[in-house]
Amino acid sequence: MAKDRVLLVDDEVDFLEALAERLQRRGLDVTRATSGREALTAVAEQTFDAVVLDLAMPGLDGIETLRRLRELQPNLQVMILSGRATVQTAVEATQLGATDIFEKPTDVETLVERIRSARAARLAHEDEVAKEHIDEIMHTKGW
Amino acid sequence: MPMSDEPQRRLEREGALFFGSVGAGLSHELSNVFNIINELSGLQQDILAGAAQDGTAGLGRVADLATRIKTQVIRGEEINRCLHHLSHTVDKEETTFDLGEKLALLGSLAARAARLAEVELRVRSPESPIVHLGDPFALLLALHGCVTTAIKAAVSERRIEIWSESGADGVRVIIRSADPIPQLESDTPTAAAIDAGCAALSVVPRIEPASEGGHRIVLALSGVSTEMA
Repeated sequence: MAKDRVLLVDDEVDFLEALAERLQRRGLDVTRATSGREALTAVAEQTFDAVVLDLAMPGLDGIETLRRLRELQPNLQVMILSGRATVQTAVEATQLGATDIFEKPTDVETLVERIRSARAARLAHEDEVAKEHIDEIMHTKGW
Repeated sequence: MPMSDEPQRRLEREGALFFGSVGAGLSHELSNVFNIINELSGLQQDILAGAAQDGTAGLGRVADLATRIKTQVIRGEEINRCLHHLSHTVDKEETTFDLGEKLALLGSLAARAARLAEVELRVRSPESPIVHLGDPFALLLALHGCVTTAIKAAVSERRIEIWSESGADGVRVIIRSADPIPQLESDTPTAAAIDAGCAALSVVPRIEPASEGGHRIVLALSGVSTEMA
């Protein structure tokens, strides 16, 4: 079975590297990005089951990155992992489609569990889209 | 000389906002340190657990992680030192202080905002220490407002430099940005902080084109300054 693929986005390189290795040790396939721009490039080029995104970053902050990620892939599963998410940013992130808001430090096992659930949600959504597509073909072709 | 009630109230109000703002930023930076230490120590546990299972030592990796934890502890100590230094700037309204030290502190306090705005912020130490008699907190409040204004306006070249100059007419603090700096707007929190700090110092910030390009904010400090040989 293919590994769960996650994009980890955080400008604190030591944090990024350590958490990435911990996720890899738990069987995940981890891609790292140190900025919102890097994250957008990665998502444009690859498929991920989930994105784990920091909020306070230089350049594009987490909220703006989330907004653009969802424009690129409306069904992308994005989780916020932030040091100090305010109620306002949490609400904004949720409205933009973030599936979870985690506050650092978070339990790595909980994070892994949510990433695995995100994969299941993504695959279920793809199945649904495929089914709708097949139904449409069946309908239009009159079979 | 003690200030009258109104400027004093403004200084206290703006000072509290300034403390809140930089305190929150430093707290966030400290959280980053603790979060990194948390993940590094978690990774150490993972490596040791793996080593126990498969019989490998993993000691080299653990030693490497210990070094990285130590680096973060040093970073945390530096942030805490800034917080401590800032807290003591309110001890006395008028005192002698090393201007270069206060500018270095200013650089540390503004570092997070500069990093998030992708602006390179550099503080140049004076060639000889300059000891100034005045209100160090009011100075930091005013200068932090000026630096914040310059950071917000730095959207192209993104380079800011801070230094002090000692001349026959006294000491000047200069904040030079490679980008244009707009005139200080009124009715903004940053302008209110600058006003309150400058009123307490009896100075008026001046924005002028810099000969090296861009603009600079100049604060000519009143009070006694001594350049140490």
